Amino acid sequence: MSRVELLSPEGLRIDGRRPAELRKITSTTAVLSQADGSAYLEHGNTKVLAAVYGPREARHRALVLHDRAIINVEFNVAPFSTGERRRRTKNDKRLLEMASFVKQTFEPVVVTTLYARSQIDIYLQIIQHDGGTLQACINAATMALIDAGIAMTDYVCACTAGWVEREAAIDLNHIEESSDTSEVTVAMLPKSGKITLMQMESRLHVDKLEEVLSLAGEGCKQMHVVMDKTIRDRAEDLAAKMAV
Amino acid sequence: MREAEPSTNEREFVLAALKEGARIDGRKFYDFRTLRLSFGSDYGAVEVQLGNTRVLAKVSCEVIRPFPDKPTEGFLTFNTELSPMASSAFEVGRQTDEEVLVSRLIEKAMRRSRALDTEGLCIVAGEKVWSIRVDIHFLDHDGNLVDAACIAAITALLHFRRPDVTVVGEDVTIHTLEQRNPVPLSIHHIPICISFAFFDNGERVLVDPTYLEEQIKEGDMTLTLNVHKEVCAMSKAGGIPMELDQILQCTKIAVVKVTELTALIQEALEADAKKRQVSRK
Amino acid sequence: MASTLSEESRDSLQIVLPGDLLPATESSFNEDSASAPIIKLGPGLQPLQDDTISAVKAGVLKHAEVGNRWWVESNQRRYVAAPGESVIGVVVGKTVEHYKVDIGAAQTALLGVLAFEGASKRNKPNHEIGTLLYCRISLANKDMEAELECMNPTTGKSDGYGDLKGGFVFKTSLGLARRLLDPKTLILRILGQHIPFETAVGMNGKVWINSANAKHTILICNAIKNSEFLSQEECVTMVKGLVDRL
Repeated sequence: MSRVELLSPEGLRIDGRRPAELRKITSTTAVLSQADGSAYLEHGNTKVLAAVYGPREARHRALVLHDRAIINVEFNVAPFSTGERRRRTKNDKRLLEMASFVKQTFEPVVVTTLYARSQIDIYLQIIQHDGGTLQACINAATMALIDAGIAMTDYVCACTAGWVEREAAIDLNHIEESSDTSEVTVAMLPKSGKITLMQMESRLHVDKLEEVLSLAGEGCKQMHVVMDKTIRDRAEDLAAKMAV
Repeated sequence: MREAEPSTNEREFVLAALKEGARIDGRKFYDFRTLRLSFGSDYGAVEVQLGNTRVLAKVSCEVIRPFPDKPTEGFLTFNTELSPMASSAFEVGRQTDEEVLVSRLIEKAMRRSRALDTEGLCIVAGEKVWSIRVDIHFLDHDGNLVDAACIAAITALLHFRRPDVTVVGEDVTIHTLEQRNPVPLSIHHIPICISFAFFDNGERVLVDPTYLEEQIKEGDMTLTLNVHKEVCAMSKAGGIPMELDQILQCTKIAVVKVTELTALIQEALEADAKKRQVSRK
Repeated sequence: MASTLSEESRDSLQIVLPGDLLPATESSFNEDSASAPIIKLGPGLQPLQDDTISAVKAGVLKHAEVGNRWWVESNQRRYVAAPGESVIGVVVGKTVEHYKVDIGAAQTALLGVLAFEGASKRNKPNHEIGTLLYCRISLANKDMEAELECMNPTTGKSDGYGDLKGGFVFKTSLGLARRLLDPKTLILRILGQHIPFETAVGMNGKVWINSANAKHTILICNAIKNSEFLSQEECVTMVKGLVDRL
């Protein structure tokens, strides 16, 4: 494979963005009729659908906690979501790991003590995969939980960042991810600025770490603005209709 | 089987002790437990004892066909077994959350960071490559399985010797151990995982938690680094949210710990190599 | 084990393994019933079909003249409930009538909500899940879950039973717990000379320690754990070494 130039000499990335620029984000809530809460999110070409059911009766009586709700996350990657059609088995370790991350990310944020002995299910469907699936899933899940009216202490906004050739950049797409760049996914609570999830898989020197992480934090804040706007628009819409 | 939750007294005591600056087993906050490495008579068999936690790693190799789209790359697979011998919380056959996380962390630390040169495992492009398999068995669970497993895996890979191969045109001869000395694998760097546990609203940070500390912790993070100060993997999932400064502080601690542990591993390998030389004479 | 044997039993230290038959003098009780002594078998010994006695556990054979009792002093880590013993348990569940308490046996034990000193339907103590309790086993047989009570059955007073506040609890083998309850074992007394503390020992292998500050409690816990296989003199040296390092 010929070496792809990820960062042009003018400082433009492969899809024409600047390093600190997010892709185009569109989002809608309440897209499903059966789920208690749902959201559809697009990060450029990555498209993710999230559905939330709960709090409802726990499926396995043995797993019930006496003083709080359990959160159950299931991932589904559509076979047509990547470039080549590929079937993923349900027990693929990568998917189980991502489901476990999403679950652990939301456990401290959702006020589970309000819903003792019940279960909150989050189902995530990846429709198209162009890099940054974990961040898109966390953002979609946040919006779906808010849509379902489940109590949360803050938004959870996620953003990827990495070191592309000579600069730190955010919101990496699939081509940037699959070449040898280091990529970190960060999920943050925007009000306090504290980090609740951080995942990195490839090599990055310690000195560059601070720059990459703070840029990811900036990206999360930008995400928060976009998500907040969507939720507020819908809330104002509903409030106007109900106040007749 | 549900593991027994610690009593309220134990929870409160551990936190009270941490406020006084003490841990239950008398260690300081940034101290690792005593690390003991013992090698088997075969190359590539290592048992790691980190305090009471015991992990066994064994490396084996075989020659197979490579993938058609990657004809010069060998294979490196990790297989982790959380056997019920280690703790009553594990069950055979059922994949618990913890097992998935531990095995994925080891894969990320070793495989994604290119610790082992897979291109160097090629014998004949497109036809024969080495497939290296690392089996990790957890024997006793007293906390911090990830760090112990990572040390076991990388030490086993460093210790392992594969049979020597000569390729003359189309002829491939794999020499037995009697004919030629076996050859070590080409390892680029030594990734070591350092796990942290957070308590008291993120104010107290501990390194190498025991089982009781793991049950009581508010949050955790695992950093994988090598001696060249490169971060190979980072994993913090949920738990108490942390500030960026606290995370960077942990990376500084991790750099120091990794240097200590790498030195220990290399000492143990050299001691074992000397023993083998002596016994061969 | 050497630290707790007195002089006379050290001479007759007899180790038995599962399957060993007891010497002939003891099992000759199938002769004329009038003069046959009644032998009481304790844990670790079972009578066989042909009137011999076999050991089923590995350990030291012990004998008490009073009541002609024989038993095997063995060590294990898993507890089996026996009536009359005092144990330390953790509350893991609550129903209207009982607390479910985990005592480390095969099943959780039941503790009646009213089995406390001075408890009545109007005045019930309310214990949360995770509370540590020092109780007495009132009923234990192989067909049912064990039952506990937190008071002395004859007097109705709490007698030290009830919930344990603060401190730290850790697990030991059953043999060490039994020795700690034996007044001949000196480790607790040696520790008490250096640091004041209070303790509760459960026969299910759980030991609770509480002292003025956490560092002292940690020292006492580690000293007790270390003392299991040390002789008396070694215990004194070990404790002195730990205290000096404080």
